[in-house]
Order: sequence, then C-alpha cells, then structure tokens
Amino acid sequence: MIDRSPEFRVKKGLGVTMMLLLLLFAAIPTLWALLLSVRAPDSIFEPIWESPLALTLDNFFKITRSDFPSALMNSFITAGSSTLLAMLVGVPAGFALAKSRVSGKFVASWILLLLRMAPPVGFVIPLFLAYVNAGLIDTYTGLIFAYMTLTLPLIVWSMWNSFAQVPDELIEAAIMDGASLAKAFLLVALPAARPGAVAAAILGFLVAWNDFFYALIITRSGTTTAPVAVMNFISYDSVDWASIAVASIALTLPILPLMAIANRYIVQSLSGAVKG
Amino acid sequence: MKRLLATAVAATLAFGVPALTTAADEEINVVMFGMPYTNGLQKLAGDFEAETGIKANIDVIGQDVFENRITLSFTGATGDIDVVHTPVIQVQRWVAANWLKPITAEVDAMAVKSDIMAGPLDAYVINGEQWAVPYMAATGLMTYRKDILEEAGVDVPDTWEDMLSVAAKIHNDETAAIAMRAVPGQGFNMFIFPMVMRAYGGKFFEDYTGGDLTPAINSPETLEALNVYMKLLNEYGPQGAGNFNFAEVNAAAQNGQIAFALEGTGVVAQIVDPAKSKFADKTGIALPPAGPAGRSPAIAVHGLGIPASAKNPELSARFIEWAVSTETMTKIALSESFSNFTTGPVAQNPEVIEKYSKVHPDFLTMQADALNLAIGHYRPLLPDWPALGQAIGENINAALNGLVSPEEALEGAEQDMKDILGM
Repeated sequence: MIDRSPEFRVKKGLGVTMMLLLLLFAAIPTLWALLLSVRAPDSIFEPIWESPLALTLDNFFKITRSDFPSALMNSFITAGSSTLLAMLVGVPAGFALAKSRVSGKFVASWILLLLRMAPPVGFVIPLFLAYVNAGLIDTYTGLIFAYMTLTLPLIVWSMWNSFAQVPDELIEAAIMDGASLAKAFLLVALPAARPGAVAAAILGFLVAWNDFFYALIITRSGTTTAPVAVMNFISYDSVDWASIAVASIALTLPILPLMAIANRYIVQSLSGAVKG
Repeated sequence: MKRLLATAVAATLAFGVPALTTAADEEINVVMFGMPYTNGLQKLAGDFEAETGIKANIDVIGQDVFENRITLSFTGATGDIDVVHTPVIQVQRWVAANWLKPITAEVDAMAVKSDIMAGPLDAYVINGEQWAVPYMAATGLMTYRKDILEEAGVDVPDTWEDMLSVAAKIHNDETAAIAMRAVPGQGFNMFIFPMVMRAYGGKFFEDYTGGDLTPAINSPETLEALNVYMKLLNEYGPQGAGNFNFAEVNAAAQNGQIAFALEGTGVVAQIVDPAKSKFADKTGIALPPAGPAGRSPAIAVHGLGIPASAKNPELSARFIEWAVSTETMTKIALSESFSNFTTGPVAQNPEVIEKYSKVHPDFLTMQADALNLAIGHYRPLLPDWPALGQAIGENINAALNGLVSPEEALEGAEQDMKDILGM
C-alpha cells in the first residue's frame, strides 16, 4: 500500500529538500571551478551577474601549452601501472588468504591493515634516501612501486573479503571435476568475485590517482603527477586561478566515467553480494 | 594472465630504465620556484646548452613544492640539485645548517660581478663569505586610483596619517579604500606590515645592527603602527580584508574594488599592466607612505646558490654566471614581467626602458627610489627569521581579526620571539 497521507508527503518533501541541499553543497566547489575555468582573466573575481558574457575558452588552450598535460599523462601511467601490478599480485594473494588453511592469517591481516593505515610521512625519509641511492628518483618505476605500497594492501584486503564470500563448495566442485587449482581460481572463483575485483581495482586506482605526498617527494620535472603540477600554478607573486580551475576539472574528469561504469560493482562489492 | 603480467613488467621496465640512465656528466639540475625571472630562465635553457654544451634541467615549481623538495634534498645531502633558488630571507638559516656551499672565489672570478648591484650582492655575504648571487630585488610600492582621488579632491597620501584621512573620505561600499596582505607568514603580512611599523619607529630588536638581539617588538611605536594598520584594514578595507594575501590584493586592485594597494613590485607590475588590469590606465604608483620615523619600503632579494652536496660545483657556477649575465637578464626583462633585475646594465637597455615605461612611465624610477630607501635588514637576516616571522605574523593577524587586542598581540609576539630565540 502506498502511503499518501499528508504527514508522509511533508516528510518526503523535507527529505528531498535536504538531499537537494546536500547535493548542492557537494556540487558547489565543482560548479565554482567550472565557472572559473571559463572566465576571462580580468573578470575572474567579478560576480557572474556583473559580466555574464566575459567567458572564454582560452584558459583551456593555455593549459595545453603548460606542463600540465604531461603531468596528467604521468598520473595515468603511474596510477594505472601500480593498480595493474597490484591486481596481478593482490588478487591471487587475496584468494590464497581467503581459501588456504595456513596459520598466521590473523597476523597477516593485521600487517596488511597496518601497511594500509601507516601514514606515508612516517617512512618518507628512508624511502627518499633509498630512492636517491638506487637512482629511482624521478622515474616511473620508483613512483609505481611507491604507489603499490598504497594500492596493494587495499587490493589484497578487499579481494580477501570478496573471495571469502565465494562458497568453498564451488571451488571444491571444480577441483573434483578435474580442474587444477589455477583453473579453479581463474574460471570459477575470479568470475564469482568479479564485482569485488572491479571495485578493488577502481579504489586502488583512485588512491594512486589522488596521491600528492609521494609524488611531491620522489618526482621531479620528468615524472611530476597532476596533483603536484596543480601547485605549480601558484607562484611567488601570482596565483593562476583559471589554470587551477581547469586543472582540477581535468583531474576529476577521468574519474567520472570510471565511477559511472563501476558504480554497480562497488555497491555489490560493499554490500558483499555474491550469487553462488 | 601470463601475457598481462609480461606486458606490465615490460612496461614498467621500459618506463623506468630510460630515466635511470639519463645522468650525464655535463648536466645540471636547477630547482627554482615560479616567478617571472625563473619562468623566463627556464625558457632559455636551450641557450645555455648551445653556449656551453651543458644541459640544464631547470625545474620551476610552486613555492610549497619547492620548500619540501629542497628540505629533503638538503637534509639527505643527496646531491640531486646543482643550483638552487636562494631567497635572501632563507640564506642565514641554510648557511647555519651547512646546506649551501660558499662561492666567494667562484663569484670573484665572474666577469659579471662588477655589474651586479652591490646592495643585493652584499645581502648574501655571511661571515665574510659569498653564498649566492642575486638576480632580483623586489621592493614595496603603493598603487592608487587616480580617478577616485581626483573625484574626492584629495592628494596622494604621503604619510600614514594622510592615508587615514584620505581613506575615510573615499571609502564606500563599492570601492574600499585600501587592501594589504593580512595572512600570517614571514613573506605575507610580515612583508607588508613592517613598512608601517618601521615608519612609526617600531623595530624587531633592541639594536639589530649593534648586535643586541633582545626582542623589542612590544613598543609604543609598533603599537601605534599596528593600530593604524588595523584601522585601515578593518574600517576602510574590503570585505574579508583580514584574510587577504597578495593574490586577493592583486585581484581586488585589478578589479577596481580598492583605491589603494601596498604591495611588492612583482604584484604592482601586474596591477598597472593594461593586459591584466581593467583599471591600469587609472592607476598611479607612489612610494609607501612615511611615518614619524621616515619611509621604509620593503625589500626581498632572490638569488641563485649552490647546495653543499652539489656534485659538480664548477658547472653550477658557470650556470649562475650565465643566468645573471646582462644578456640573459635583458632577454628575460623583455620576455617576462621582470623589472626588478639586479644586473645594472639591463636598466640602460633602450628596449627594456621602452617596455617598462609603456607599462607605467614612473615604474622603473619609482622602483629605484624605493630600493634606495629600503634597508637591507627590513626583515631581520637571521637563521631564525622564518620561525620568528611566522610567529609575529600570527599575532598581528590575530589582532587584526579581533581575536586578541593589539596590546596582547604585541606581548604575545615578543614572548614568542623570546621562546624561539631561547631567551
């Protein structure tokens, strides 16, 4: 029965209003950045109603002539590679932890969590010195491995959870039918845990994509990532607000389609649904 | 899966290996933060390589990023930086920490040395050694809106007292009278506030030049200056003036929201630049107002130094000599908004003179007048200054925003100074 009482309608109206207000609150910074990104430089601080037509796409062209596009590419390469490598190692690791009957799983889980929780500032100086001596400063390899300290624990932990929800009987049945353990993993367990794997990959990518600290410390002009490059628009005696706005939009844009595609998987993964 | 793994490993190696093998002998790494000169220098890196055969990797980054990178590099003595942007305000601290290499002999051997302005060059002499070579000396100037003053029938204020009365006459809801930096920081409000403080006779220490470093900021003179600064910003400043930094002051002036701005020459050049400001043609420039103790324009000197851990100081010195040469400086003065060069002959170049008189006819002369009036230790040249400046700046900002009284702010500032200096 549908509740059509006035009391319910008022409550629903209030709920919708509250949701819209929250949405507006969350969207204001993005909308503001969008507005700044198309404002002419000499009108950037004028209220929009005073010069509604002072709009330009020059800010977008200007940023293409800066170092920012290559920084964006560096972000893609490092976040993508570290996620890919972490998935290659982390997914089988999660499977092993979920399904093998080895001792010390509890300790392993805590070590993983500690790695995940440890603030990077705690080990940045030894990491920096090690990288300098190993010649890994300002290399993709160095940054990708540094990012794996962020992405790998996340992916292992997440996949451990996902595989734990795959019924043991499914894997046992596959093995009884003659499949090797690798085949059972690839053809039975992994497809069953697919939502978790997609969610883990996306969350891992986002962690690396949004990183500022590691990139600040171990990159130079050759491998600067986009979050650090944004800071370069703030100079000694000027702040290039329009470029910062364009850059922040450019940083957000690649995440949107990812989130749209992965939304379903993330919800499934977080709610722990595996149909067995 | 195997193919994926192989591709990933191959890709990682492919990305990593070239970067690992790029280090060549005739190559130097230069790290600087963004400003017109450094941006211009970065674009000329090819010229340096063509002239000397040395490849210069010039990294121009944001100031916060710069601070983090050089601190790690210096403390780790990693040798990954060959030439470093050296603000004079930091040089005492860096020298005390053994982060820089003394370059007296290298600078003496530079042909350009006699062309470099003596004041900024001497600012880098500590304990009888030269630690960096200047390329820029910024000072403080005041911009004013000629049309607003004309309409109100008032003259350009010559003193801070005049400024208070002019501000009262011209301030309105649409155009505030004045904006100055208010955000706490040794390079933010503490770049601007001492122009008021010193004009009223306020000082940081009992006798800085005589060597008596007993904090003396809690004085009637500084209190009077603080009251003027607060009155101007709180009663005649734009909305939110208590949180303005150079970017907001610049934007407010370019946008016609204020009549007066007291700023560094780097920002003033942008306020009077017709390409950047709608009100440039209506804007005049003047020296900062005077007080009972005279006029004290700000000064900020920036230069190039060689880190103590630099692996090839001879190459670094060759780069610095090229970077401050009349030829390189002239190119940058013409290509960027860079008027505060410290290599003298640049100012005699007809093209440079023509360019900056187009921006504003009085700009170069006014800047030279302000530099002549500026005292080298406008902000004390001490290793502890960055911490002192931050602490004093926070107290001044707290008073401005009504969190404490001006008297409490100065008491707090003096106590903080004593704590930092271990007194």
